[in-house]
Amino acid sequence: MGDDIAMQFSAIGFRHSIPKPTWYNPLKKGKGAGITHVDLAITKGEIIGLVGTNGAGKTTLLRMISGILPLEEGNVSQAGMELDVRALRSMVGFMPEQVRWSSQQTIRQTMTEFAHLRGCSVQSALDVLSLVGLRNRIDASLDSLSQGMRQRLSLAVALLGTPEILVLDEPFNGMDPVATDAFKRLLRSLADKGISIIISSHHLIELDLLADTIALLHRGQLLAHGTTESLQSSLGFEQMTELVLDKMIPESLANTLNILNYVDVANEHRYVIESGRHDLLETLIEKKFQISTWRVVPPTLIELLCAATGLDRETIGMDVEQSSMIPLRTIGGEEE
Amino acid sequence: MTPTKRMLHLAFALGKERLFSTRMLIMLPILLLFIPGMAWGFADPNIQLPANQIPENATETMFLASIGIVFAGTMAAVLIAHDGISRDRTNGVLEVRLSQPMPRWRQGVVMIIGHWTSIAFPVTLLLFISMLLVGYRSDMWIPLGDAIIYVVAAMLVLLWYTVFALLASSIAREQGSAIAFSIGLWFLFTLLWVLFTTLLAALNGVAVGDTQDQGYLIFEGRLDLLSPNGVYHHLLETRLDGVERGVSALGAYIAAFVWTIVPLYLFQRRLNRLVP
Repeated sequence: MGDDIAMQFSAIGFRHSIPKPTWYNPLKKGKGAGITHVDLAITKGEIIGLVGTNGAGKTTLLRMISGILPLEEGNVSQAGMELDVRALRSMVGFMPEQVRWSSQQTIRQTMTEFAHLRGCSVQSALDVLSLVGLRNRIDASLDSLSQGMRQRLSLAVALLGTPEILVLDEPFNGMDPVATDAFKRLLRSLADKGISIIISSHHLIELDLLADTIALLHRGQLLAHGTTESLQSSLGFEQMTELVLDKMIPESLANTLNILNYVDVANEHRYVIESGRHDLLETLIEKKFQISTWRVVPPTLIELLCAATGLDRETIGMDVEQSSMIPLRTIGGEEE
Repeated sequence: MTPTKRMLHLAFALGKERLFSTRMLIMLPILLLFIPGMAWGFADPNIQLPANQIPENATETMFLASIGIVFAGTMAAVLIAHDGISRDRTNGVLEVRLSQPMPRWRQGVVMIIGHWTSIAFPVTLLLFISMLLVGYRSDMWIPLGDAIIYVVAAMLVLLWYTVFALLASSIAREQGSAIAFSIGLWFLFTLLWVLFTTLLAALNGVAVGDTQDQGYLIFEGRLDLLSPNGVYHHLLETRLDGVERGVSALGAYIAAFVWTIVPLYLFQRRLNRLVP
């Protein structure tokens, strides 16, 4: 297993410098939020999904991994050898969140510029454009690119010099569904070639489907890192099964089940129960129930994050229902 | 390709981009008016200058015309470089640049050379045109040694302002602050410095009303070492006869060296600590 580790970050830390003015020194700065004591082992060809709330420190951690922010604490090593920041930058390709490429420069000129910054050949840089579907726009100016194309260009720049680790901060932003799908397939093929990928995204469903492992980050600390299954078990999650029936389960039987959720919609009775009751299926068939759904339901990433932090959805601030707080304006009417 | 060649390639590409930018097109008429235009004006054989000054040779004429560099050249340098870093920071490109393996000091050199050459190239061209205009109009030709010092001094003052502007751009978080910082610095050294000098001289009991007073000239000359424009003029004065402002030629060269090294060091230090 040790040989499969592409890079090991040990006890790394960084805290942002923030203004802390005093009456005698208005320019005084102090230490603010950041990353504390994070240990992260990145396996070759692994896709890690970085999940956390706004302000959890995802971008800071990704910038540290990319060598943009210094490691104030801890170190990074590969095969037991400690790496300096320059070696780290040459091994990591970084795609920041929303780069607004804009100038009269063409894509060709931009790729040439970054090939020189990266230290790779110009031809290989131009070849990368085929991978991201920008080859036919090679002489287009940056000003003429759509947001999705700018994202692709950012990815092309991150792929320069065949990095061992690809760090992607919110890569799906601004991409249409077709491009997102192609992008995910590209990432999977890169991972199959041995490139490790770390993705931070608020598109949790996309992330859940794509990532091999999930890293849960909260308030600058890495709470857990592992496969969804290992996180479920380490966080004490019970396996859940969803079943949809044509009628209600009788009370005598229901009392023997651990029912986590029940919804009755249009004569369909949807139950979420704790898994492990294989006898239940037989009993329901014997009792002539019509079973339209029977499936194991894994916890969502939000549920995992809530379990890891011990906070509920509302507190953690990821519940979309919070949008109901926005006042509504009726047609021609007053704000409600 | 060696790292140095890559660096020079990047600097050349940046310089070319800035040279053919819209803002350079806007500034070019101003540079034309101020540099060859002033040389043309000061080369007029019938010119009437304050205090009955009459340029006796081409070097003196070019010295008088150097005000074009002080006003337009330095302003153009500031306008070219004021968003050299802040623009990339705003649109996110800086983050991509800083994640590249090329060391930051090399990236800093690329930024400085790129921005500096983009303004140095047209200014050098205009300076040569100015020298030709002075020779044509007054029939006095600038000696080669004086011409070299004249051009080198102009290039140095442009370099200083370029580095100031990039430094300001690296500190500013957005374009407005970057331009306010850069233009403010230009305004201080170009326009407010006279007021500052006069005020300090008056506080020191120097006769500020008499511009021919030797005490004032020496005070002003020494204080000018603290201003890039002042050092620029000191460098030019090393080629003029009969100028005594309390600073030797060696003093002017040392000041120019310090004005080159200190901002470059500060900029590189800043770049090494830069957080996007």
